[in-house]
Amino acid sequence: MDSVSIDQTDLDKLNDKDKAELRQFITNEQQRTRIQSQTHALTDTCWKKCVPGAVKGGALDKNEQGCLANCVDRFLDVNILTMKHLSSMRQG
Amino acid sequence: MDSESVKKAVIRQILTESNTANARQLIEKVNENCFEKCIPKPGTSVSSSESSCVTQCLEKYMAAWNQVNQAYIRRIQQEVGNGTFSA
Repeated sequence: MDSVSIDQTDLDKLNDKDKAELRQFITNEQQRTRIQSQTHALTDTCWKKCVPGAVKGGALDKNEQGCLANCVDRFLDVNILTMKHLSSMRQG
Repeated sequence: MDSESVKKAVIRQILTESNTANARQLIEKVNENCFEKCIPKPGTSVSSSESSCVTQCLEKYMAAWNQVNQAYIRRIQQEVGNGTFSA
């Protein structure tokens, strides 16, 4: 790891164009990080449902692959249903 | 340092930190789930069959992670297209 540490005097050297580029980069990174975190949570949930029993080999079989894809989609269906239901409760 | 090299240094540091955080989360989950699967009854040491189970489990968990990530991104794009997330 390179130990170049950045301090305030370095940051003051940034011109407007580079500041704008950095803001965009950070926004994109935040989104990527959110998706990765959510992927960790979903993999945990769907692994428990779709890969029961002993591990035989390091690859996923066809059933497990299909189950994982369905698991993600149904989890998000439930997420959307919950939001819709809650918003109808708030209006009703 | 000029503006360009400060920008590059900031980007490099952010990437290092977010990749480290991602790896840490993966290790935590693999540890949890593969311990559960491969060490049903903890003995006085990790046996060779338990150890090979852990290796396979790690590979399989990472394959599952990639599969879930793809399915998740596909669904987000679909929902964005449908306007589900618009306020």
